[in-house]
Amino acid sequence: MKRSGMCHFPLAVIAIVCLTPGSAHGQTTKAAANSRPAAKKWTAPRTPWGAPDLQGIWDFATITPMERPTDLAGKAVLTDQEAAEFEKTTLERRNPDRRDGGAAADVGRAYNYVWWDYGTRVIGTRRSSLIVDPPDGKIPPLTPEGRKRGEARAALLRGPAAGPEDRNLWERCILGGNAGPPMTPGAYNNNVQLFQTPESVVLLNEMINDARIVPLDGRPHLASNVRQWRGDSRGRWEGNTLVVDTTNFRDPTNFRGASSSLHVVERFTRVDAGTLLYEFTIDDPKTWTRPWSAAIPMKKTEGPIYEYACHEGNYGMVNLLAGARAEEKAAEEAAKKDPR
Amino acid sequence: MIAIARVAVAAALLVAVKPAACQAPAYKAPRTADGKPNLNGIWQVLGSAHWDIEGHAARPGPVVALGAVGAVPAGLGVVEDGPIPYQPWAAAKKKENAENWLTADPEIKCYLPGVPRATYLPFPFQIVQTPKSILMTYEFASASRIINTDNAVTESPIDTWMGHSRGRWEGETLVVDVTSFNGQTWLDRAGNFHSDSLRVVERYTAIGANALRYEVTLEDPTVFTRPWKLSMPLYRRLDRNAQLLEFKCVEFVEELVYGHLRKKAGK
Repeated sequence: MKRSGMCHFPLAVIAIVCLTPGSAHGQTTKAAANSRPAAKKWTAPRTPWGAPDLQGIWDFATITPMERPTDLAGKAVLTDQEAAEFEKTTLERRNPDRRDGGAAADVGRAYNYVWWDYGTRVIGTRRSSLIVDPPDGKIPPLTPEGRKRGEARAALLRGPAAGPEDRNLWERCILGGNAGPPMTPGAYNNNVQLFQTPESVVLLNEMINDARIVPLDGRPHLASNVRQWRGDSRGRWEGNTLVVDTTNFRDPTNFRGASSSLHVVERFTRVDAGTLLYEFTIDDPKTWTRPWSAAIPMKKTEGPIYEYACHEGNYGMVNLLAGARAEEKAAEEAAKKDPR
Repeated sequence: MIAIARVAVAAALLVAVKPAACQAPAYKAPRTADGKPNLNGIWQVLGSAHWDIEGHAARPGPVVALGAVGAVPAGLGVVEDGPIPYQPWAAAKKKENAENWLTADPEIKCYLPGVPRATYLPFPFQIVQTPKSILMTYEFASASRIINTDNAVTESPIDTWMGHSRGRWEGETLVVDVTSFNGQTWLDRAGNFHSDSLRVVERYTAIGANALRYEVTLEDPTVFTRPWKLSMPLYRRLDRNAQLLEFKCVEFVEELVYGHLRKKAGK
């Protein structure tokens, strides 16, 4: 969407799903979920069958980092001025059109903002980290097992790939890097379209165009031996909030070195006409010493969501593997010439 | 309910045997909240159209080790007014595709299957119907496409694998007009194909509680001499707690696609 993704699209494309606040059906919503200050007078729209209406395309791009930067320790919420300063310095630092770093830096900045779409703003709450729990805004310490797993994975990714399995799931076009669960802001395609029927909610992430179907009928999770890359999601309504519970992940997961015991609980709540509050809690005792939670206010955006055919054009994987083989061959030949 | 379901299945079977019978459906589907026929659900085609949309006898498969499991089952064909009206060059190309199936078929590489092939692959797909847009999401390769029924987006800015879909309701029927294909998808495992000039018009009509009639017109002046039609029933998956499961086939084709670039053992 927008200037992001694999292609450069015109901006002036019209939204395909854009329920305006006026499309609410006039039913009185429960007051509980509207108790947040920003939502005092606003009434969350409902679907014709009475469920909170979360449909539309939502943008979770932000430059607010997952973890609170060390220099902001103790400062959970930025003032307006601090937020503006943070945005300014972050954008300056990331600016790929800078030419002040020499040739190597220029190559590193080869992809400019035609490609990248990190967003330009901090989240609306001005919190200095997406993490809201623990209160210090930092991911809790790893367990010994989690540390070991993470280090092994990192070593694999640092080295030349013997085959595609040595690269991450995103590079392999098996999963979208930011598509989750949980969804986390990334470099581009930070968009998700929600569809609702009385029986299910579907989250279609633009990244790799991956639809996650969430049944709402109270059925149990899949049998524990049936494991999936995106896990297995079940949903329920709690007042105005959609709660999505996901288990049954398989190894390796796509989320920060988590184990297949990862349990993700996501909460979606409309807090005003243009904002869908997205909260998630991560529980994986094999990886982190305690559960942790983050919150991202997603902004309503215009569409449409585009096709993202990742695997079909994965020249990156071909080049990466061919490069690794070429380096090995060169090293072999150098060793032959200069045997020690 | 059981009696109704039985009638529905019988009706579906009749349509399957006599695809030319095209009269207006007597069945009226339950309605969604906005009054449209409710096509929500998980659907799947039965048969062997994914092997060959034209009528064909059973034949051996190309992989000796797979024996009976790898053989191609016979099929009555789903082309209504066949044979497929290929232009002479395209008939030759179809033959060449069939001869080079293992290396040429995009399905084997886990590429997005295009439309209508996605519908009759041997995998379920789910229709998620909302007033302004309909999501069709397929188990194969996690393919998806959005069908706009409010026609807010009339033109696709770029050609795609799954095409650009615009939908409208004609009485009991969802009509989907699909254009902007990239021309890299096929129609089956027998080498039937199209170009990027393809225009597909799909018609989805409930013919019972648990079956849809699926009719497709294919128009491609680069490849065919005239428009032609496919027709087949789609059956509702009635399994308890039916859900689409993952078939993220990239993993299964990495050796095929990248194996030649793998580090050799012992090096």
